[in-house]
Amino acid sequence: MLFGLFMEAYMHDFNLVYITLFFVFSLAFSAGPLGVLNLGHLKSTFVSSSRLFAHEEGLITLSIKNVSPTTSWSITLYGEEDSIHLPSLKGESNTLTHLRYLPKKRGSFSYQNCYLESRYPLSTARLTLAIKEVYEGIIYPEPRGKTLEAFLNEEETHYGEEKEFDGLSAYDGSQKLTHIHWPSVAKGELSVKTFIKETQTPNLVFDFYKAGKQNEARLSQLCLWVLACEKKHLPFAIKMPKSYLSTQKESIDEILTILATY
Amino acid sequence: MKSLRFWLPTKLNTPMPPLALLDMGYIAVLLPLLVTLKAPMILFSVMVLAILFFKRSPAQNMLVLFVFIMGILGIYLSLYGAFSFRGLSRLKLFLELLVYILLVVVAMQRLTQKINMYLLISPFLFLALSLFFYHSIAMLSYIIFEIFFLLWMILAHRMEGKLVDSFRASMVMFMYSLPWVVVLFIFFPRISFEHASYGFKGETIQRMGHDGTMFLDGNALLVPSDRIVMEVGFEGRIPPASALYFRGSILYYDKKDHWEALLYPERKNKAYYPTQGEKVHYKVTLYPTQKKWLYLLDMPSRQVIDSTLDRDLISTVKKNIDEPIHYAGSSSLSPYYEDTLDKITRKASSYYSQSQNPKTYIQAQKIKHSYDTQSQRASAVNKFFKTQVLTYTLTPDALDTNHTSDSFLFDKRRGYCVHFASSFVTMARMTGIPARIVTGYKSDRSESLNNYLSIKEKDAHAWAELYIDNRWVRYETTATASSIEGETQESLSQKSTHPLMKKINLYLMYIKYNIETWILYYSHIRQLQLLDYAKNNPQFVAGFVVSLIAIILLSFTIVAYFRRPSYSSEALAILQPLLKQLKKHGYTRKESESMHQFLLRYHSQNPNHPHIKEIDTLYESILYQANNSKQKHLLLKKRVKKALN
Repeated sequence: MLFGLFMEAYMHDFNLVYITLFFVFSLAFSAGPLGVLNLGHLKSTFVSSSRLFAHEEGLITLSIKNVSPTTSWSITLYGEEDSIHLPSLKGESNTLTHLRYLPKKRGSFSYQNCYLESRYPLSTARLTLAIKEVYEGIIYPEPRGKTLEAFLNEEETHYGEEKEFDGLSAYDGSQKLTHIHWPSVAKGELSVKTFIKETQTPNLVFDFYKAGKQNEARLSQLCLWVLACEKKHLPFAIKMPKSYLSTQKESIDEILTILATY
Repeated sequence: MKSLRFWLPTKLNTPMPPLALLDMGYIAVLLPLLVTLKAPMILFSVMVLAILFFKRSPAQNMLVLFVFIMGILGIYLSLYGAFSFRGLSRLKLFLELLVYILLVVVAMQRLTQKINMYLLISPFLFLALSLFFYHSIAMLSYIIFEIFFLLWMILAHRMEGKLVDSFRASMVMFMYSLPWVVVLFIFFPRISFEHASYGFKGETIQRMGHDGTMFLDGNALLVPSDRIVMEVGFEGRIPPASALYFRGSILYYDKKDHWEALLYPERKNKAYYPTQGEKVHYKVTLYPTQKKWLYLLDMPSRQVIDSTLDRDLISTVKKNIDEPIHYAGSSSLSPYYEDTLDKITRKASSYYSQSQNPKTYIQAQKIKHSYDTQSQRASAVNKFFKTQVLTYTLTPDALDTNHTSDSFLFDKRRGYCVHFASSFVTMARMTGIPARIVTGYKSDRSESLNNYLSIKEKDAHAWAELYIDNRWVRYETTATASSIEGETQESLSQKSTHPLMKKINLYLMYIKYNIETWILYYSHIRQLQLLDYAKNNPQFVAGFVVSLIAIILLSFTIVAYFRRPSYSSEALAILQPLLKQLKKHGYTRKESESMHQFLLRYHSQNPNHPHIKEIDTLYESILYQANNSKQKHLLLKKRVKKALN
């Protein structure tokens, strides 16, 4: 387009074309400083993110603050794997943004190389503002394995007796065959009966070695049970090879961190 | 009404959909081109607009096909007759065809309601095409508006379609660019001057007055073009209009349908130059004519450097003028000059064909026999022309080219300068007076201000010179016309009866002249002139720099105005200077803190700071009380000022 305009001006020496051309150039160049003003006042910081698990998509949260009194327009936040377009960031305001993140493995991790990009006011000015801060976090093991219910069923005698009918739930292969709810099977739905245990055993103990055959599988299984216990507010303990973890001593996050960094 | 709401948001800053923004851009760029559209294409455009207005859903293939067929039909009907392979070699027709094709393609794409790259680029193509059609101050203004408007639409698209916010942003950007445009326009190296036509043929226009041949037949098409041929800067005041004759070539030979110059090397021998009449000195910028003549005011009294001034006072250079040249001229304002006729000149300037114009000859003979002196005979010819009730018109009927003078004087009686001059010279010769035609330019001072005069193509003129009593005397032959045709008069006259209107007109002309000279017709040569002038005039440089700084300051003031933050209330805006000062002292309002809480916090820590409590109360009352008067705002402003001091 610019080349065509230039040729038009060159061939004809039409000042109208020259003026158009010079406006195009000047606007394209003025987009730079205006882009800097648009982007330069933004301050980004990582905010403590929600729990991240291996092979499960999680969210990395950033707080973007516009310290200028004027609105910043058309900003895109780029993370390691994801980007988010923010149409406007009002002056002197704070915005929370979440970047999707799919961790590959458990353990501690660093989330870095994030940057903000502005194509405002014109695409000719593509400006970036690197976010120098590095987010250090923990990726917990992928929660995978037998459900806590299945574990409790297997360990029924130890942890109480089923007395009162509680309702129906979907059959996942781990329940007893005697608990299958046959009327629902007749209707084409495979459901099992669930019962409330009469007595809840306070000493719910998971054994690292019994949780699976391999370490990763064991950690994933334990992670699943820990999360299920947390949901049901059940106290529990884990027999680790060299330690004994208990909710009476450690918080859930501490237990999960030990599992993540095992 | 629903359709209208698509384009017109209920609130100013309501987001506009991208298609509506694009449509607004198209309307802006298509407006100047609409004037060039032929009726069938206008009908096509109206049809497309109607479909777009009433049909809200994307068009089906059948409708797109229908529009395509209608578009092709529109193009065919618009260019019917003019359209041929030969016609395509004419630039404007070719461009017209391009506009039509683009219009049809854009209409088809727009109906699908899908924004693609072509739909986004096309407004700029329309803009570029419109630059071919116009070259005027109106277009200059419109182009600047168009650029701003398109920028606004682009930014509106980038800013969620918000028109008010994007208007402010585009004003900032536009004003930021303006000083750069000014600097680039003045200093960007110009490459060429000539207006090329991409290898296309011209419009086959014969221009007169400066091409050494004067046609009387259909080729004598007069083009009242506004293209500037030359600019003249007089050292003193501009001479009166009656003396503004710029000599070009002199024509002696009547070739029935045209007149030709006398090619005779001896004419170079000029014995003396005219000395009678007021002396004037002037500088001329002559734009390329592709001819060898330099134009000098009647009568040239000094030879221009690097040129030849012959005994007919015709100034020429060796090569055709293909780039602007500048020369200084000196003339004696006189309608005649003395000369001694040599044999060849006498023969050439006395030749006529009796059989070619028998009626004219009979009348000439009557005059010849009635008067003895050449002066009396010339007056009689002049009188005869006046009695013939001749009409001056720019659109005369075709003359009989075998009997041009007879046809003009006794039959058609309608013509312009060439017809008057040729007939006058023929008749004068028939009465025994050597006569010739002078072609050049005649200005009526309508394009002048102070000491500047611009000569345009429409000022091309032809007049007669009669050899009377050893002097060549100028005769303004068109003065013998009894009337000027209405349309011609309209295009020639610039009358405004009221003196105030005349004054306004003059100032407008002055502005127009300056814009045309310094913007529309700013060129490589003007650039060099400016730089040369700047080199020798430090005052000019200082003035230029000050002007540039003023433009930059003005631009940045406007930028600052449009970049000002917008606050939720006027009261909050009034408080801003105070909040800035408190921030400097380390007090910043927390996110969770209300203004009241913040001011109280500051007051508790700085109980001696005056007016804070009062400001807080005033601010709260403005925000939450029904009586929200202007006086309160003024009072708050005063208190903030006092608190700052």
